Amino acid sequence: MRQEAAIAGVGATPYYFRGESEPQTLYELIGKAVLAAVADAGLTISDVDGLVFYAGGFDPAQIMEMLGIPEIGFSSQVSGGGNGSAAILDLAAMAIDTGRAKTVVCIGACQQSRHRFGMTFSNYAPPPDAVWARAAGLVGGPGQTFALAARRHMHLYGTRREAFAEVVMASRDYASTRDGAIRRKPLSLDDYMSAPMLADPLTRLDFCLETDGALAFVVTSAERARDLPQRPVHIAASAQAGVREWGRAFFSLNQSDEEFVSGGGKPVARMLYEQAGIGPGDIDVALLYDHFSAPVIFQLEDYGFCAKGEGGPFVESGALRPGGAIPVNPHGGHLSEAYVIGMTHIREAVEQLRGTAVNQIQDARIALVTGGPAPIPMSGAILRN
Amino acid sequence: MTETSIAPNISGMDIPMDAWTQPFWDAAAVGRLLVPRCADCGCFRWPPGPFCPDCQSQRTDWVPAGPASLYTYTILRGREEGAAPVVPGLAEFPEAGGIRIPAAIVDTPLSALRIGAALNLGWSQAANAQVPVFKISD
Repeated sequence: MRQEAAIAGVGATPYYFRGESEPQTLYELIGKAVLAAVADAGLTISDVDGLVFYAGGFDPAQIMEMLGIPEIGFSSQVSGGGNGSAAILDLAAMAIDTGRAKTVVCIGACQQSRHRFGMTFSNYAPPPDAVWARAAGLVGGPGQTFALAARRHMHLYGTRREAFAEVVMASRDYASTRDGAIRRKPLSLDDYMSAPMLADPLTRLDFCLETDGALAFVVTSAERARDLPQRPVHIAASAQAGVREWGRAFFSLNQSDEEFVSGGGKPVARMLYEQAGIGPGDIDVALLYDHFSAPVIFQLEDYGFCAKGEGGPFVESGALRPGGAIPVNPHGGHLSEAYVIGMTHIREAVEQLRGTAVNQIQDARIALVTGGPAPIPMSGAILRN
Repeated sequence: MTETSIAPNISGMDIPMDAWTQPFWDAAAVGRLLVPRCADCGCFRWPPGPFCPDCQSQRTDWVPAGPASLYTYTILRGREEGAAPVVPGLAEFPEAGGIRIPAAIVDTPLSALRIGAALNLGWSQAANAQVPVFKISD
């Protein structure tokens, strides 16, 4: 049995429309989030002895110099784009468990003034073994390839556009009560159905926001967290995993038939439920990475909240709503609150389990957080209070 | 009247190639669609690469892909009002182990787009290569 780790502090900058965080630099945003997280945990910057990042482009040396962190004994970074977001908790928990660090700060941030995540396919030259997609006209981002999966899910299971609409409408209703959320105006089915198609069957509203922001989380041992000011949020399980049949996902588009219409999360789900000794029925609130609406439905199936192929009717039943079968993204998610590559989902899980969430799920004890369906490593964590 | 899909404009696009994709493009230049099959275990693979993921052999045969059907597709529209749609799709090759090659579905009425539809092979000219495209008859 590993030494359990806990999240003892959370810090976040405000969330900004893409580019509006300037003239602050990305590092300035990170610094503000780290200082806020350390203060929230009742610690000082000198206590920090581990740094974990998601995703690319963060330099531990620069952060140490900038903030005056005296010495670290552990630093690591999860690879990828969306997929590994929840894995920062996995790395931190392992560093705590092995004694490599006592106070790990996990950092995730994005500033999209130059580099737009949603146009990721045209942000780099295609490699020789992935040029066919580009030549086929898939020159934008993963929204276009998730449209391919959404279309196939509709074909196989009869999933309706109303299901995608419900994912977006539920997120918007949740965001409407949350200060700092970017899209707060409630959305009707008519609004959804009249939105422009970006990649048929997905509309502009099925695509997440493009925002800037930074978040940081202080992870320490559960034992130490008990003596700190905040109610500890325990990392009951954490995983980064994936199967070959999922592979590079929307970069190769040669997943197995079953995986093609999934979020690639089944191996993560299996590991998480095994570690935590629970099943999907024990989860009180799910923070599912929603870069697009359709993969929320895929993940509900991957994580066992409904049977394969039944995700559409499941969400249309109101399952994601307050009091529904599994409340999803009560902060409004990437679709309505803000997009900071999965970090906002971890923050919401912590707030739910502290009992301080804006849209508090009553008696929430156990939360699931997932990384985004994208190339391996897929990731997830189960948190409990 | 239904709209008809057009080919994405790739006339200025340079197709990057390496030793493991070159045979595909060499065959494409003469109008043949060949795909890699492991010379040891007979498994097809896509995309082309240095190893058979099923037996790790590097010995590769390039063989005809066979007939294609439409696995899935999306419809993209240009920013300009009235711009004709581009339809990226996945061509599935049942006789080649079910591999899928991303390709544009061109000159096809949108009303004819149907998962499972038989695809007819055509070619579109990039700067340095012929790229496969597919068409569905209404």
